[in-house]
Amino acid sequence: MTDFLNFDLCRTANLVSSGELSAVELTTASINRAEALQPKLNSFISLEKDEALEAAENIDKRLQKGERIGSLAGIPLAHKDMFYRNGKVTTCGSKIRSKFKGDRTSTALSRLEKAGALYLGGLNMSEFAVGPIGNNVHYGDCFNPWNQEHTPGGSSSGSGAAVASRTVYGALGSDTGGSIRIPSAMCGVVGIKPTQTRVSRFGLMPLSFSFDCSGPLTRTVRDAARIMHIIAGHDRNDPTSSQRKVQDYETECKKEVASMRLGIPSNYFYDDLDTEVDRLLQETRKIFKDLKVEIVSVDVPSHDYINLIWAAALAAEASTIHRKWLRERPNDYGPMVKRRIEFGLYQPATRYLEALTLREKYLRNYCDTVFSKCDALLTPTMPVVAPRYQDLDVGGGEGMPALVLMLSRNTRPISYLGLPALSVPCGFSSKGLPAAFQLIGRPFSEGKLFRLGNAYQNATEWHNTIPEIVK
Amino acid sequence: MSAITSDFIKLVASIWHRFSLENEEAETLTNMLAPMDDAGEQVSSSIGFDLEPSDYSQALEELGDEEELG
Repeated sequence: MTDFLNFDLCRTANLVSSGELSAVELTTASINRAEALQPKLNSFISLEKDEALEAAENIDKRLQKGERIGSLAGIPLAHKDMFYRNGKVTTCGSKIRSKFKGDRTSTALSRLEKAGALYLGGLNMSEFAVGPIGNNVHYGDCFNPWNQEHTPGGSSSGSGAAVASRTVYGALGSDTGGSIRIPSAMCGVVGIKPTQTRVSRFGLMPLSFSFDCSGPLTRTVRDAARIMHIIAGHDRNDPTSSQRKVQDYETECKKEVASMRLGIPSNYFYDDLDTEVDRLLQETRKIFKDLKVEIVSVDVPSHDYINLIWAAALAAEASTIHRKWLRERPNDYGPMVKRRIEFGLYQPATRYLEALTLREKYLRNYCDTVFSKCDALLTPTMPVVAPRYQDLDVGGGEGMPALVLMLSRNTRPISYLGLPALSVPCGFSSKGLPAAFQLIGRPFSEGKLFRLGNAYQNATEWHNTIPEIVK
Repeated sequence: MSAITSDFIKLVASIWHRFSLENEEAETLTNMLAPMDDAGEQVSSSIGFDLEPSDYSQALEELGDEEELG
């Protein structure tokens, strides 16, 4: 009897806290599912069975003594394998760091552990968090739980697959241009890229210090709100993290959405949309209308330059971090990843600084133009559903830049601006692959995004649909 | 139009970064860089004299959702 693996995080946490379900029983079921699905999905890079079970036993003992632990007591989570754990191997999905042991524990992981969460293992990911596809030449490709011929999206591929396959109740991912939102959309789970500076980056493998964010992938919006409430907030180990007070996001979920305003972009985001994704987005709009949310049309500033200067700045930072290895170990990178990092070596410093300097101007313009008219934008997270692996150019050839741009066209401008964005599944294509919408808000408006996303999930059932692979 | 060429990229690789590039690799990188170079050229004229990257952090806080502050 492992039906509880299909429950959401909040419901399961209540069962554990009330003693109706032991953390050991839950963790054992989670490990069994991880092992059973590993040959099919390849979600995990490492599975820490003994450690997780020992921690679960400890949680059960503490609960039996009447100790109050935290809102994630006994909940099995696993995370993209780039959150450092002091003295433990964190591969970053790479050959180069296959034996790397961090000298610190990520603040996000420490906070989750303090709330009682269990660490089940390190999840598959695109090498060094580069790439929206989910392939990995070193640890094997990760596969989509809804159809294993299709990509789960990246770079937080294992996070999307492990949550969608009901193996774990939530997983942290990282997002520099869409790496939480893309696998969330392709795998049919919820994912949030928080406001830049909302979550500490301490102990997170760097790709681009200007754009890196971490956040949760979960089955429901409320689950994501619970995890975000735990990991968000200032951290003295990351001086760039915001000092702003963190809202109780779960309480925000319960608030009324009637009379909130949702903006539908009249340009860019709905261009070149797959017809099935378009249909599902139209149905999403109807749901929000039924919820008495006001729908308004909004012209958004041009994203064309933003996309390009974002890529230039990201590559400049990534190539600075990787320069030593690009010279000494070029053959230890996958071809696509190496190409996307190394082009930063050929840009003048002035281009890089221009991209960062203009960020303030673009952000102010965006907030003035867009968020003076609405509380949040409603866009497709991606213009398509998950493609098949065999249809993708994953070798770093001529077609690669266009492929990357197509998959991340709706996510990367938001990373440049540093705005929060919540991806929520909104139905399935005729081939049974998930589609998703993205809610984008002004800085630090995560609470409003959770409120809107939760209201949508309360009115729909998509998040309760379970992939065939675990039925 | 960007004037970046694969010969230029090969030169930068050897002089600034001390490694050599194959022709095909340099060609691919040139094609990736060209649109970014063009975009950078287009936007660079809009940079104000007194602006600097850290202005962004301040803007992020200033423009933040007021409801969150309670």
